[in-house]
Amino acid sequence: MTDTPNQSATGSRIDTGRVLDFAREYGVLIIIGMLLVGLSFASDSFFTARNLLNILNQSAPLAIIACALTLVIIGGGFDLSTGAIFGVASVTAGWLAVNFDPYLAILAGPALGFLLGAINGAIITGFGVHSFLVTLATGLVYRGLAILITDGSLIPVRIEEFSWLGRERIGLVNVAVIVLLLFGAAMTLLLNGTTFGRKVFAVGGNEEAALLSGIRTNRIKILTFCLTGMAAGLAGVISVSRISMAEPQAGTGMELEAIASVILGGTSILGGSGAVWRSVSGVLLIALIGNGFNILNVNPFFKDLTTGVIIVIAVALAASARRR
Amino acid sequence: MTMLKRAALLAAALAPTAAMAQDDGLNIAFLAASSQNGFNQAVYAGIEAAAADYDNVTTEIFDGEFSAQVQFSQVEDLVAGGRFDALIVTPNDTVGIATALEQATAAGVPVAATLFPIGPDLSQMEPQVDGLVTTVAADPSIGARIQAEAVVEHCEGIDPCRVVVLIGQLVFPFDNLRYETFQEVLGEHDNIEIVATGEGNYSPEESLVAMQDILQANPDIDVVLSNADQHLMGAEIALDDAGIDVSDVYLIGGGLNQITVDGIRQGLYDASLAQFPASMGAAALDAVVGHLRGEEVPTWINERELREDVPAIVDREWLEAHPDFEAEWQG
Repeated sequence: MTDTPNQSATGSRIDTGRVLDFAREYGVLIIIGMLLVGLSFASDSFFTARNLLNILNQSAPLAIIACALTLVIIGGGFDLSTGAIFGVASVTAGWLAVNFDPYLAILAGPALGFLLGAINGAIITGFGVHSFLVTLATGLVYRGLAILITDGSLIPVRIEEFSWLGRERIGLVNVAVIVLLLFGAAMTLLLNGTTFGRKVFAVGGNEEAALLSGIRTNRIKILTFCLTGMAAGLAGVISVSRISMAEPQAGTGMELEAIASVILGGTSILGGSGAVWRSVSGVLLIALIGNGFNILNVNPFFKDLTTGVIIVIAVALAASARRR
Repeated sequence: MTMLKRAALLAAALAPTAAMAQDDGLNIAFLAASSQNGFNQAVYAGIEAAAADYDNVTTEIFDGEFSAQVQFSQVEDLVAGGRFDALIVTPNDTVGIATALEQATAAGVPVAATLFPIGPDLSQMEPQVDGLVTTVAADPSIGARIQAEAVVEHCEGIDPCRVVVLIGQLVFPFDNLRYETFQEVLGEHDNIEIVATGEGNYSPEESLVAMQDILQANPDIDVVLSNADQHLMGAEIALDDAGIDVSDVYLIGGGLNQITVDGIRQGLYDASLAQFPASMGAAALDAVVGHLRGEEVPTWINERELREDVPAIVDREWLEAHPDFEAEWQG
């Protein structure tokens, strides 16, 4: 009979431990849940299908980039050129839509992004330079291209055959959200359901071991950069078609938002572990904060402060989960 | 005749020649806030056009990359290099750049400012930096007041008149001043209510996101008031996506680029506060060249008086009466 209290105490410790483990593992989801509940109480306008779809629609371009960037980061790389690829794909698509063919423009964005990603991958693997430095440099080159194409000016693209991608809906759901869901599913399948995905984990976990086990690590790395470039190009096209305007500065800072989202979701910045859903969660977390501020009409001065505090909490939870 | 006297005579004889030689090769640097920005490019186009009217004036543009630090270093480098006879600056940081420009004027390189005054007081157009030749700008609060008064006029007979403000970034002192002016003018009218404020960051994309969110909580609005035309581009899309007839909402922006002029003509927007970057650049160049030639030049050239053929607020009615009007920058 005297064991009972001890057993109870042990059970309580186990329960607390499990709760803490869960909180660490799924910290970003818990914070999203808390924000959803808090904002629903704070504003009647928040928890509506329209607003939630609105958030998804707004987040689609960044989430698409984050999905593919997850593969680069799991593979031990880093891509600081996604914002610039987004910009150059935006203005290229806008220019093509106005001067040639809207459908060709929609295809050209991702294709150009794929090519620019391939250039990133080829330089990184060919010269053995860290992806951080290479993509920092190529990002400058790509941004310069975007400015050269437009002379620094905006390009209005009010063409229905082009704007459907960013503005049309199927039922209540925007086409861009459907594209995001399909792209996210494809990246998840690629990462978790194919040998390519397993090789990405292997390269990011221990590149030397991967090489010794016969994996062509350079090819895997180049492919991850191609996919990220393609995603940035696709995101750029969606963005231009949504606002009917191509701007050379589009996507400035987006590379850091994408990286922050991936890390915020819990993917390891050191490579070797992570998941696509985590990155999408990271994007949604940041989007929810912005949406909440706009809906509640809170002084914008507090937005960065609040966003920063929430990111620190989420990242701390993710880091503690990795240390266990 | 002593050596000293001979030297003095020679210097006196050569003085006009030296002045002409200097005048023969005036080289003016334009330090753009960013050379990759449509507004700044238009300022430089005005500088180049004005320089072409002289036989002996050349110009170069420098990219400030929207960075206060980059621009500060550029001033130091250009003064140290000694290649330029004068600087024209569109400042990224109106306060921080003052020290560098004081060094320039102290080194004998005259400076003109465009768009904003240099110094801590944004409403003070007279030079706040020793040696500043001229400022081609207008107090941002004056333009903001004119915009807000246009909103007041539109809101007459509408009660409540619900206004959404889209401002650039409140961390920028000039945007803060504009926002305070909007609040002050609109706050004097009981029928007008600012229902929400969003930051557009001079980006159509960010304005779209802010406006979409605002419309979730405030689906019934009467006015979108913005300091920048780029914000209207995002706002208009958000209104249309929300199923709101854009013609029912009064949209007024600022800057008057060609995309907005076309949009007003098509009925997408209602009005814009006129700005003329090319005229601004031309006025600044004429002022520094005049100063270098020893002429008296005004210490303040009012930006709002550069194009007296165009009203402060350009709307559809005025554009219909002036079908050939073209803005000074694309957007």
